[in-house]
Amino acid sequence: MSHPANTVRSLLQTDLVTAPTREALNGRLNAPPRRPTFFSADEFALLQAVCDRLVPQEGREPSQRIDIASGIDLRLSENKSNGWRYDDMPPDGEAYRLGLRGFDESAQAWFGQSFRDLSPEQQDEVLTAVQALEAPGSTWDILPADHFFEELLAEAVENYYSHPLAQEEIGYVGMADAPGWQRIGLNNLEDREKQTDASA
Amino acid sequence: MTTTHDIVDAVVIGTGAGGAPLLARLARAGLRVVALEAGRHWNPKLDFATDERAQDKLFWNDERLSAGQDALAFGNNNSGTGVGGSTLHYTAYTPRAQPDDLRIRTEFGVGEDWPIDFADLASYYEEVEQFLGVSGPSPYPWGPTRNRGYALGPLPVNGAGQLMERGCRTLGIRTSPAANAALSVGYYQEGVGHRPGCTNRGFCQAGCTVGAKASMDVTYIPLAIHYGAEVRPECFVTQLVRNASGRISEVVYIRNGQEERQRCHNVFLCAGAIETPRLLLLNGIGNSSGQVGRNLMAHTALQLWGEFDEDIRPYKGIPGAIISEDTHRPTNADFVGGYLLQSIGVMPVTYLSQMARGRGLWGSALKQAASAYNHVAGINILGDCLPYEHNYLELSDETDSRGLPKPRIFFSNGESEERMTAHADQLMRQIWDAAGARNVWTFPRNAHIIGTCRMGNDPDTAVVNADGRSFDIPNLYISDNSTFPSALSVNPALTIMSLALRTADKFLTSQRRTA
Ligand SMILES: Cc1cc2nc3c(=O)[nH]c(=O)nc-3n(C[C@H](O)[C@H](O)[C@H](O)COP(=O)(O)OP(=O)(O)OC[C@H]3O[C@@H](n4cnc5c(N)ncnc54)[C@H](O)[C@@H]3O)c2cc1C
Ligand code: SF4
Repeated sequence: MSHPANTVRSLLQTDLVTAPTREALNGRLNAPPRRPTFFSADEFALLQAVCDRLVPQEGREPSQRIDIASGIDLRLSENKSNGWRYDDMPPDGEAYRLGLRGFDESAQAWFGQSFRDLSPEQQDEVLTAVQALEAPGSTWDILPADHFFEELLAEAVENYYSHPLAQEEIGYVGMADAPGWQRIGLNNLEDREKQTDASA
Repeated sequence: MTTTHDIVDAVVIGTGAGGAPLLARLARAGLRVVALEAGRHWNPKLDFATDERAQDKLFWNDERLSAGQDALAFGNNNSGTGVGGSTLHYTAYTPRAQPDDLRIRTEFGVGEDWPIDFADLASYYEEVEQFLGVSGPSPYPWGPTRNRGYALGPLPVNGAGQLMERGCRTLGIRTSPAANAALSVGYYQEGVGHRPGCTNRGFCQAGCTVGAKASMDVTYIPLAIHYGAEVRPECFVTQLVRNASGRISEVVYIRNGQEERQRCHNVFLCAGAIETPRLLLLNGIGNSSGQVGRNLMAHTALQLWGEFDEDIRPYKGIPGAIISEDTHRPTNADFVGGYLLQSIGVMPVTYLSQMARGRGLWGSALKQAASAYNHVAGINILGDCLPYEHNYLELSDETDSRGLPKPRIFFSNGESEERMTAHADQLMRQIWDAAGARNVWTFPRNAHIIGTCRMGNDPDTAVVNADGRSFDIPNLYISDNSTFPSALSVNPALTIMSLALRTADKFLTSQRRTA
C-alpha cells in the first residue's frame, strides 16, 4: 500500500493547520543538516548505516532523506531522557557507544569486516542476531542486546514517523487540526482525508 | 536566598488529579493556600501542537530506573508535569469504581480493603462529574443506581468504538459509550466560565488545545485561583523541613536554579505515586510504617490491535469511546478482582513506537505494517493488580540532572495478573475476530502507578489514615494515586479527584474542631 506524495506538505500551506502545529512540522521539514556533536564521525556513520536498515528509505531522493541518526545525536548531546531506562542498561549515551561497537564486533566475528562494509543482507543478519540475543562478541556480555535493540529501534521509529514526509508515507493527516473532525465513524472521511485514501 | 516569611495555611505540592481539586476546596473555605508545581503553566491554544513530538514537554522526563520482569515504562506512558499534572495528557476516561472494588480482601482473602466505603465516595463522584461536565450515558449500565445522570450526553463514537460494539454484539457482551471527562457540548462552569465542546481531534494524550477535556488546568485550577489560591509553576520541591515538635514548618523548593522557602501550617503532598514517596524517602520522614514506596501496583493494561478493511483513521474522535464492564467479575475467572474493556484510538507515533517495541518489526516489515495505520483499531483492558513484596520503589545511588537520587522501580506481575491478562487476551481476540480484524497482535503493558503511600487504619501497615493524614506527621496529608490500598478495576483519575475533595473536607472539619 502506498500513499500519494505531497499531502502533508500541501496541507501545511493551508489554514487547515493551526499555527503551533505548522511550526512544529515545518521545523522538522526544514531542519538544516547538522554535524554530530555527541558521536564521533565514525560512530555516526555506523549509526546511520544501522538506521538505514531499521527504517529503510530506498526510493527517497537524497535531499528528502529523514536524518534519523541526527535526532539521536542531538538528544544525547543535550543529555535528554524519555523518562526511564531499563535498570540493566547503562546510561543512554554509554549504551549507544557500546552498542555501536557491538555491531562492529559482531560483523567482524562473522564476516571479518566492519558493519558498514557488509552487504545489506549481511547487515540484516547481524541486526537480527542482536535482536534475538544471538550475536557474537564480548560487548553483548556487558550490554543486554535485546534491550539495547528495542531502545534503538523505538527511538529510530519515533524520529522517523514524527517527520512530515514519513507521515505522508502512511497517509496520516491528523495534523490538519484547525477545523476539527465531524466525520469520525468507519469509512467516514473528511475531504482533506480523501486524497490520502490508498484504495481510491 | 529568598525567604517567604508569610506563614500560609497550606502548601499543596503538585497540581494534578490529587492536588488541584483539594487546592480549590481549601481556597473556597477561605484558607491562604499556595500550590508549588514543578512544571510550567501552559496556554494550550498557543503552546500546544497537534504533534506528539512537540508535546513531549507534557511528560515527566526525568529519568527513572525500571527493574523487574515487567519493567514499567515511564515518560509518555506514565506521568506528566505542568499545572494540571498528568491530567494534561490523560485520556479522560472517568468510570466510577464499583463498591466491591474497595473490598478485595473481604471478597478474595488477599490484597487490601479500603478504610472507607463506597458510600463515602459516591457523593464526591457525583460532585466531580457535575463540575467537570463528564459526558456519558444515563443510566450507566453497571454499578449501583445513581441519584443523578451524567452532566452531558455521550460523545460521538469513532471507528474503533464502532468495531468494539460490533465484535461485542456478536459475542453477547454488553457495551456502552464510556464516561469521559470531555465535553460533548459546550458547558458553563461555576468560577471558571464557558468551555467549548470536543472537536474530535483525538489528541487527548498529547494535550487538548480547545479546553474541551477536563484537565485540571481548565477546571479545578481556575476555580482555585478564583477563590484566591496562588499557583506557583516551575517550583520543584526538594525538602520538607520539620520544627522541634515534628510538624512541617517550611517547604524548600528550587525556582530558576535558586532555593526558595515557603513557611506554612500544613502540607498536602500531591506529587503522584512516584514523586510523593520519593520526596518522603529523600527527606527521611513519614515512614515509621516502612511502607513508603512499597505495595506498588500497576493496572493490568494489555492492548490488542488489529487491521480492518474499513478506513478507521485512529487519530479521530475521543480515543476512549466505548466501554464494557461485563468483565468486572467474570464467572470463569481464575484471578483476583476483574477488569474493564475499552476501545482505543491512537496517535501515529505512539502506535508505531509501541509496534516497534511490542512486535520488534524493522526493515520492510515495519514499513508495511506502518502503512496500515489508517486501518488500525485497538481495544484494551484495565484491571486489578495486587500489592506484592517484590514491587516497590527505592532511591538508587545514581543522581539525576537536579543532583537527586533517581528512583528505581521494581515491577513484576504476579500469578493473578498473569491469569487475568491471559483471560483478557483470549476474550479480546474473540471480539476482534468477530469484528473482522486481521494481523492481530498484543502489546503487554501495565498502566498507572498506585499504592506507594497507602492509606489504612493501622499505622504499622499504612502511611496515611483514611483522611489522608500522615500517621507520623500531624500536619502532613497525601492526596494522589499513592494512597490507594488496592488498584481498583477502573481508571483512577475520577477516584483520585473525589478522594482529594474528601481529604480536603476532612481536613477542614478537623480545623474547625480545633479552632
Ligand atoms: C497517557 C495516559 C493516559 C491516561 N488516561 C487516563 C484516563 O483515561 N483515565 C484516568 O482515570 N486516568 C488516566 N491516566 C492516569 C491519570 O492521568 C493519573 O492517574 C492521575 O493524573 C494521577 O494523579 P496524581 O495526582 O496522582 O498525579 P499527577 O496528576 O501526575 O500530578 C502530580 C503533579 O506533581 C508535580 N510534582 C511532582 N513532583 C514534584 C515536586 N518535587 N515539586 C513540585 N511538583 C511536583 C508534577 O509535575 C505533577 O504536575 C492516564 C495516564 C497517562 C500517562
Ligand atoms: S478529542 Fe476532544 S477532548 Fe480530546 S483533545 Fe481532542 S478536542 Fe480535546
